[in-house]
Amino acid sequence: MTNTTQLCTGFSAVPSRREFLSQFGMGLGAVALSQLESSQSAVAESGVLQKLHHVAKAKRVIFLFQAGGPSQMDSFDYKPVLNERHGEELPDEVRQGQRLTGMSGNQSSLPLVGSPFKFSQHGESGAWLSELFPHTAEVVDDLCFIKSMHTEAINHGPAVTHVQTGSQFPGRPSIGAWLSYGLGAENEDLPAFVVMVTKDKGGQPLVSRLWGSGFLPSRHQGVRFRAGDEPVLYINNPKGLASENKRSMLDALGQLHALELKKNADPLIETRISQYELSFRMQTSIPEATDFSSETAKTFEMYGEAAKNPGSFAANCLQARRLAERGVRFIQLYHQGWDHHGDIPGGMKRQTKETDQASAALIKDLKQRGMLDETLVVWGGEFGRTNYCQGKLSTNFGRDHHPRCFSIWMAGGGIKGGMSFGETDPFCYNIAETPVHIHDFQATMLHMLGIDHERLTYKYQGRRFRLTDVHGHVLNDILA
Amino acid sequence: MNKIAFVISIAAASATGFLQADEKINFNRDIRPILSDKCFACHGPEEASREGGFRFDQQESAFGEADSGEHPVVPGKPDESELIARINSSDADDRMPPSETNKPLTKKEIELLTSWIASGAEWQDHWSFIPPTQSVPPAVASSQRVTNEIDNFILSRLKREDLTQSAEADRSTLIRRVTFDLTGLPPTPAEVKAFLDDKSPNAFETVVDRLLASNRFGEHVGRFWLDAARYGDTHGLHLDNYREMWPYRDWVIQAINQNMPFDQFIVEQMAGDLLPNPTNDQLIATGFNRAHVTTSEGGSIAEEVRMRNVVDRVVTFGTVFMGTTLECTRCHDHKFDPITMKDFYSLYAYFNSIDGNPLDGNKKDPAPVLKVPSPEQKTKLEQLTEEVAKLQTELNGDWPELATAQPIWEQLIGQESAEGDVDWAVIDPETFTSSGGAELNLLDDKSILASGPNAAKEIYEVTSQLEGAGWQGVKLEGLLDKSNTNGGAGRSSNSNVVLTEFEVYTSAIPEEGKEPDWQRVKIVKASADHEQGNGDFKIGNAIDGKPATGWAIEGHAKKEPRKALFQTEKPFGAEGHSLVKVVLKHESIYGQHQFGRIRLSLTKQQPIRVEVPAEILAIIKVKAEDRDDKQKNQLQKHYREKVTTDGKFIAVRDGLAAKKKERETFDKTIATTLIWKEKPKPEPAFLLTRGEYDQPGDGVSRRTPEFLPPMEEGFSNDRLGLAKWLVSRKHPLTARVTINRFWQQFFGTGLVKTSEDFGSQGEPPSHPELLDWLSVQFVNDGWDVKKSMKRMVMSSTYRQSSKVTPELVTKDPENRLLARGPRFRLDAEMLRDQALFVSGLLVEKMGGPSVKPPQPDGLWFAVGYSGSNTVRFKADKGDDKVHRRTVYTFIKRTSPPPQMNVFDGPSRESCTVRRERTNTPLQALLLFNDPQFVEAAIALGERATNEGGEDPSSISRQMLWLTLSREPTSTEINALVAGYQQDLKFFQSQPEAAEKLLAIAGQPIKEDLDKPKLAAWTMAANLLLNLDEVLTKN
Repeated sequence: MTNTTQLCTGFSAVPSRREFLSQFGMGLGAVALSQLESSQSAVAESGVLQKLHHVAKAKRVIFLFQAGGPSQMDSFDYKPVLNERHGEELPDEVRQGQRLTGMSGNQSSLPLVGSPFKFSQHGESGAWLSELFPHTAEVVDDLCFIKSMHTEAINHGPAVTHVQTGSQFPGRPSIGAWLSYGLGAENEDLPAFVVMVTKDKGGQPLVSRLWGSGFLPSRHQGVRFRAGDEPVLYINNPKGLASENKRSMLDALGQLHALELKKNADPLIETRISQYELSFRMQTSIPEATDFSSETAKTFEMYGEAAKNPGSFAANCLQARRLAERGVRFIQLYHQGWDHHGDIPGGMKRQTKETDQASAALIKDLKQRGMLDETLVVWGGEFGRTNYCQGKLSTNFGRDHHPRCFSIWMAGGGIKGGMSFGETDPFCYNIAETPVHIHDFQATMLHMLGIDHERLTYKYQGRRFRLTDVHGHVLNDILA
Repeated sequence: MNKIAFVISIAAASATGFLQADEKINFNRDIRPILSDKCFACHGPEEASREGGFRFDQQESAFGEADSGEHPVVPGKPDESELIARINSSDADDRMPPSETNKPLTKKEIELLTSWIASGAEWQDHWSFIPPTQSVPPAVASSQRVTNEIDNFILSRLKREDLTQSAEADRSTLIRRVTFDLTGLPPTPAEVKAFLDDKSPNAFETVVDRLLASNRFGEHVGRFWLDAARYGDTHGLHLDNYREMWPYRDWVIQAINQNMPFDQFIVEQMAGDLLPNPTNDQLIATGFNRAHVTTSEGGSIAEEVRMRNVVDRVVTFGTVFMGTTLECTRCHDHKFDPITMKDFYSLYAYFNSIDGNPLDGNKKDPAPVLKVPSPEQKTKLEQLTEEVAKLQTELNGDWPELATAQPIWEQLIGQESAEGDVDWAVIDPETFTSSGGAELNLLDDKSILASGPNAAKEIYEVTSQLEGAGWQGVKLEGLLDKSNTNGGAGRSSNSNVVLTEFEVYTSAIPEEGKEPDWQRVKIVKASADHEQGNGDFKIGNAIDGKPATGWAIEGHAKKEPRKALFQTEKPFGAEGHSLVKVVLKHESIYGQHQFGRIRLSLTKQQPIRVEVPAEILAIIKVKAEDRDDKQKNQLQKHYREKVTTDGKFIAVRDGLAAKKKERETFDKTIATTLIWKEKPKPEPAFLLTRGEYDQPGDGVSRRTPEFLPPMEEGFSNDRLGLAKWLVSRKHPLTARVTINRFWQQFFGTGLVKTSEDFGSQGEPPSHPELLDWLSVQFVNDGWDVKKSMKRMVMSSTYRQSSKVTPELVTKDPENRLLARGPRFRLDAEMLRDQALFVSGLLVEKMGGPSVKPPQPDGLWFAVGYSGSNTVRFKADKGDDKVHRRTVYTFIKRTSPPPQMNVFDGPSRESCTVRRERTNTPLQALLLFNDPQFVEAAIALGERATNEGGEDPSSISRQMLWLTLSREPTSTEINALVAGYQQDLKFFQSQPEAAEKLLAIAGQPIKEDLDKPKLAAWTMAANLLLNLDEVLTKN
């Protein structure tokens, strides 16, 4: 679509199209429309931003969202004090009267619990990691850990919505929708925004609004890729039909549309024609993008055996790399199951077993392909967990929701590797240094993509909305 | 995907551009939007962020003196106006708007502001806050087609823009357009032909009247309201369980079909419960304010949820009725419109006094609800109630035999004591275990105390040596202990206990190193000193062998030790020593409902002397003449319910119980719907600082927003008064907002494009006089919906051809001036309904529970909470479920049906008054490949074959007629036939492909049909159901 002015009016293009079609009469061959279309689609769909606000470091984002709220004290935020004072009451001067959820709010006792996992330092950067992350440990020098994340939401629904849309209330566009709106797609034969949910996880629910477009046009909403033989809804032809049937059908449809166009020069008819052609191309491009048969044994070794199981987190990570290669702008993974109100020891083991190797493999894989520099990868959840146990202290203790601090990591796409940013107090209850709000995180993500978060706006109900509401500061300290 | 992006964005950018013809500057149209968008944020209604001491939303302030001493606007004198000086300043620090706002003025805007001031700075209050007046429709040249006043306004504007109206659409197009617009379905070929043949001058009116009278009208028009009312079939948050309020959906459809005046429509929904002697229908209507999303997420703070519920009601109220964006004023004064935060919380005070828990309990019927029986159900229920009453009367009547027998029984029992004479030997436990890992400790009084881990289910086992034979009774004591919950007898959160099974075993003393050989001792009778009354919690449940039933001690209400006695069938034990084991099972659905401290005893005497509870025995011990009425009744009740052996009485008694059970079971099958019930006393309301529920500021009382006319005296200051205020003549917004939505429905875009925002950031109306004329006329007509819709579709404006020419698309790409008829893609519901209708599959059954036509697997599961009752989608079966109109499709709000979602149907999580209309490749994939659409194609293929005859041309012609609602051209017929023949070859060469394709149909295909042929026609039908002309309202 090199000549935008033509298509904007829809008019200068029409007569030539009409002439072109009429030459073929009713004997229109299979090539005609597809040729015509492909000549028009050399350039991918562009977004609302005519040009970027500044030079972009990242071209795309892969967000490995860990739903449920992973425990920061048992992963990346090493707190020996909690082990030293294990079983002691959470001191009042630490809690400072902060609200608790309805679940532990009526507990008479809030005993501190140390992490049951061993911590050690890794890489040249000496990052502290719990023993649950042996693979992540291998790539720490590429990661930037942010340990001073915080949010206002205390329950899952509002908290996940906050991370993904910038507001606790439903109705705002998700990050991927903003990017699709702002930047458009790199590859027009694939959606700009793809979502994958680890299959069969259950736990705290997700909502399709988390990848919705809110008040933005619905074409910006995330397209969910699913495990199984129908990776995108309705991508498969009805049973019994082959691709050539579809092609001839599209051609016949094209003839009838051409007839209609003769009677009525409505640009919408043109749109319809291209919409159908694009859907046909997607029927090729999506199966190609989701076909792992060209992946080497070495790759599967890196991501782990689970990567051969479609719909697993590992398979979704590998799929994410394939989509990144093909120019998908925003690739959103969801992995549920981190809501450990009980059994931190067992639960954390299970969750990390499912995620550690593949997350690290994605970093390694992108790096070896030279893509890490232009791909921003994020790993984290919606909030953290309490330093005290929920219920009575026992060996299979749990931790309640804790919005006041949590840890995530970011990598690639212009983020400084091998560093840690922000600090919590020794109890891992409050933030001691450089708090990072959800909106700061979002502002930084947009910044890496060449977008000033204050200038990507959409006017709705009289107000210019943006992802970061009226807040957000770019974390300049973590930029490479 | 790509092209649409351009078409839409460019059209949007130029939406208002063409509205500015060469005429004099109009403040509301030309100037206010600039001031609002670029200046109000700092010089507008919000006091907190106001700079410089002046505001541009008020004339007095804008023309007056600012803090600096300068006058922002000096009418007629741009050179003296500080506004002009500042927007032209070359000093970056001085220039307005400040660069950091990213809202620079364009050259054109600077010119406009300058010439506005130069021409005298004529000021107007914001148009939508001034009540509409009915202007005289402008005269137009007689050569024009004028059907009614709408055309006068439209034509006079077209003339100013140097455009002319298009010719009238041909009749086939017209009847298809109006049939879709009034019923959501296409016309049948017969209807089209009848219209083509009707030569009378009012032929079109006849069609319109027929459509307005059709029940399909409400099913179509109603769904626009259901979008606005955010109606859905699940709670919308967290578990997102089923919630029942389809009777509200049916009420909407019915009210519209009955042409309920729109003011009444509003009043009943806003305040039906406050009307005198409200009918059930009026109560169902109040579901409008209950339709918002709700939650019961664990850990939710009820006060916070209550606040969110009320906020949703207020925001929806603002959007739906007043086109006003109230959401911002939850946290601060509005930045663009004169609405204060206090206005918001004063409205809040009307909506915060519902008599019900803000948390929905994950139930389908969180109170307040109304039962909504169908007429048949109502009759049946009345009949059952009558039968119950009859039996009750009989039971309550005189029973001389019982009156005689009771004192004799009393005397007999009175002689016995409950357990007074029984000797009990306390068991000295040797081993005791907990299945849930509790720590058990033996106390000095030989009771066992449980502490530590507290599993959801718990089984205690206690063993002891047994001396001698002849034991026949076991006593269980549940003792109080301070370490139990609340110092009671139980370990559950409320200290209640449910004992599901009580078992006794014996064994001979095993040889060294061997396990005891436990033999079950059968228990035949049990008695307890108390049983929980609200449900089936009798002591007998602890010896019935069923783990699901149990004895409950009502420990949450009674902090007392409990005692239960168990009698064995035969004496147990053996000469010398043997072993006994007692097992206490707590395995009910009530987690942790276990005893915390127990003691066991044995007796060789018959343990249960009398089968009466201790409290009854106590009454018997009172002399007959000393008993009070309560005691007498209690005693008689016990005797009649538990003791008497009178056959005749028992027949009546048990008959009544069975009948009551039948009524109860039946009652549960009756639908419920969420309604409003006001608390007797209004809840206080407060200004919530930053909108936070836990930051209440000053108290506020109910009052309407100050920028609007006050409520009339005599109205009650409650929701009813508020509703009447909305529909009073003085209210400038309600009728306009409503009429605008109707217009949007027919023409694709409202006269005010931003139908959700009539404030200063909204787009000004394209035809302000027409909007006002229609609004006033609507009210004058008694808010007659059908009449006002008829006026719109009868207009020549509506009846124009929608043919687009290059000139038109250049001058008016969005068709806001209406020099042509409306043309746009059909809505999600219309697309699916059309496919079902033209293929003959549609089942036109009105109302009832929502239905679940098939959708791809796994959509609900991917987002669902494992504990939710909507975690797995299971498609309904049967034509009357899967082939219903889409308005009846079940909407799970966290995962709406893809057939809706892909075509811009809202999720119904929040109020929507304007749908986006996009065109994406995913839509093409759905229409081609969705099994429901393929099924429709098969049926359409079959139908056309049946109706079209033998000849492929005539079949093709019939199929085109059904889908296009017009006479097809020979080129079209030939194209379809050519495609058919090509496909036929394919299917004839691969008959198994035809089999596979046809298997997608819900029913088996008739054996005598030629399958390759049908498959090829299916392809043709599938193609037609994807044709632009078929997907579009032309």
